[in-house]
Amino acid sequence: MLKEIKVALIGNPNVGKTALLNEIAGTDLKVGNWPGVTIEKKEAIIIYKDYIIRFVDLPGIYSLRNQTAEEKITVDYLLNEKPDVILNILDSTNLKRNLYLTTQLLEFEIPIVVVLNIWDEAVEKGISVDFKKLENLLCSPVIPASAKKRLGIDEILDKIIQVYENKKFVQCEHFEVEFEKYLKEVLKLVEIYQPVLLNLYPKRYLAVSLLEGSLKDNLSDALAQELEKLREKIKSIYGKDVKTLIIEERYGIVLSIYEQTVKKEPVNTVEGSLFLDKIFLHKYFGIPIFLFLVWLSFEITFKLSSPYVDFLNKVLEVVGIWALQVLESLNASELIKSFVADAVIGGVGFVITFVPVLFVLYIVISFLEGSGYISRAAFLMDRFMSSFGLSGKSFIPLLLGFGCNVPAVYATRTIESQKEKILTTLMIPFMSCGARLTVFAFFVSVFFENQKGLVIFSLYMIGILVAVIVATLLNKFYFKTKSEVFILELPPYRMPTFKYILNNAWVRVKSFIVEAGTFIFATSIIVWFLTNIPFGAKKDESLLAQISQKVSVIFEPLGFGTWQATASLFSGFVAKEVVLSTMSNIYVGEELKEEKKSLSFQEGLNEIFSGFIDANVSLFKDLASTFGLVKTEKEEDEFKGLGSVLKESFTPAQAYSFLVFLLLYTPCLATVFAIKQELNSYRWMFISILINFTSAWIVSFIIYNLIR
Amino acid sequence: MKRLLDIKEGCKAVVKDVDMDEALKLKLFELGILPGTELELIQVAPFGGPIKIKLHDYCLALRRTEAYKILVEEKC
Repeated sequence: MLKEIKVALIGNPNVGKTALLNEIAGTDLKVGNWPGVTIEKKEAIIIYKDYIIRFVDLPGIYSLRNQTAEEKITVDYLLNEKPDVILNILDSTNLKRNLYLTTQLLEFEIPIVVVLNIWDEAVEKGISVDFKKLENLLCSPVIPASAKKRLGIDEILDKIIQVYENKKFVQCEHFEVEFEKYLKEVLKLVEIYQPVLLNLYPKRYLAVSLLEGSLKDNLSDALAQELEKLREKIKSIYGKDVKTLIIEERYGIVLSIYEQTVKKEPVNTVEGSLFLDKIFLHKYFGIPIFLFLVWLSFEITFKLSSPYVDFLNKVLEVVGIWALQVLESLNASELIKSFVADAVIGGVGFVITFVPVLFVLYIVISFLEGSGYISRAAFLMDRFMSSFGLSGKSFIPLLLGFGCNVPAVYATRTIESQKEKILTTLMIPFMSCGARLTVFAFFVSVFFENQKGLVIFSLYMIGILVAVIVATLLNKFYFKTKSEVFILELPPYRMPTFKYILNNAWVRVKSFIVEAGTFIFATSIIVWFLTNIPFGAKKDESLLAQISQKVSVIFEPLGFGTWQATASLFSGFVAKEVVLSTMSNIYVGEELKEEKKSLSFQEGLNEIFSGFIDANVSLFKDLASTFGLVKTEKEEDEFKGLGSVLKESFTPAQAYSFLVFLLLYTPCLATVFAIKQELNSYRWMFISILINFTSAWIVSFIIYNLIR
Repeated sequence: MKRLLDIKEGCKAVVKDVDMDEALKLKLFELGILPGTELELIQVAPFGGPIKIKLHDYCLALRRTEAYKILVEEKC
């Protein structure tokens, strides 16, 4: 039998915790969320020697005082899940602040393995550590390591096993003699008034948290009173409150340990990070450089991925033809053929078209994050974003929204503050994405030939304006109590490893396919049924048409209360890409069917192969066009018949109102499920849908009545 | 005594007091901004944006409203 060891990874933010876990576990890493919050949970299980080691990567924290959501998760985990070993990861180049957390971790009666990560950088900086002494002072083993150089990985695993088998926990008593006495006094009080607490918590943690009053538990009145008395006494002796005193005590311990064990030889190197910040955070050049990098990220994310989206579509097309051929030979009915081709293969296609763009986005984001630049971006944009009650961190996700809302929602991962993350996520759907632009462009060419640019520009502006109004209202009425401060660490610039970036991107794309993907697929099947029930009916008798007929009443005041317009909006709820083809189907009645092809297996493979070549060729063309070298050809207009029919069905005012609604209501199913996955909540998902619909209705109503 | 916001870019200063509500004050304390700690004001963001300070061995950004409430003794 293999023995199982539960290991908790704990450390400050930006100490390379995840990179280290990546190095230990490779792509076996699983990402998810902690229950009820937007904070990410990463887990990995490995088999090493005769043991199953189960790692849980806890959120990066500076303290265990149980104040922020991240701290609560960690404290709860330590108290309830009782891991066998704590792996405390420290940044060797920043030991003072990192050791502060270690002094708190020592109080949980769980054996600790201390890892001095980023050791290679510390050596370069002339830092040397007396490990023997440090181990003695921390009552725990200490291992130098580097995820980047793959240094110390096996030592860590061996040490975990050794500590686990040792089963001995040595309690360090660090505080000064007087203070240790007070802690003993607290424990005595507990024994007298509420001894049950002693069974529930580790002793030292109990004593400290009772004294500083951070224990979230019901205390008996007598105990609470006695504790208050003790606090008063300490306050009168030291002249400051207990909480401050404990923090000062801890920093005293840290500084003393630091001075006894760490030596810093003055090395003649320029501080690279300070120099880079002189450029990237420059008074005048900082923001232009930032905007340039943002534009570059945007271009890379969407241009680099789009040829592969086309390629995947090609593959699906071929698979679709093959499937139809098989069904044909089995004499399957038209209905089953339609189900397989449209619902199943179409649904899968819809999910996987997001894969390339998400993969590239995660590469870009991992790089921005891992290099440390994302904190600089937040630093530069903070002033601007703070006028909307946000911080600098929400700028990049919002901007990505103009490309596609789905990756934008996933990009909110870099925002730590829960409130800000929710706000940003709710604003993203109002950023008009590329798919909506296709519909706008078509309508504009039909109705507003002379003011094309102006009309499209006005739509983008309306989107931004509504987002700002929604954020302001939510800030004022919903989040009013939670004003948070902006304290942002600016970690040193570091080059993330290629392996780490790819691993990270792959792990996240996998979780998109599994989580959001299944939902999107399931819903697209439901939509297929709606449009095809009752089977064999005419298009204005389908279930979708009947529902649209009923629902269309609510669009009457907006100027487009017809079942056709309503049904088009239904399809736009699934994806904006399909709006035009649905409209053409509904209004003109001609289905945009490609001529039936038949392909042998070999021909199919050839098509896929040439599709792959095409993808790479057009990738280079796109890249070249980014730098203005080649012009890409415009696509031909494929909906000629639709334009003239629409001109009779809509007045320009009605058309504009329709576009405004299309802009503001729910962008697409994929975004909806991305919101669900990222905020880890159905509630926020429905609130987002609701906000989008109400604001779409109200704004369209106002605009329609102003311009008609 | 001066406010952290008022010292010159590139100057060092020692923290004397933090004049904020308790929760925030303790948060800054835990990050090492304790009375007696030496800070260096490295950079100031344009258009009234945040400031970048260095303390112990790391860098931190604070908004001006918070920097205003940190009282220091300038050492230039």
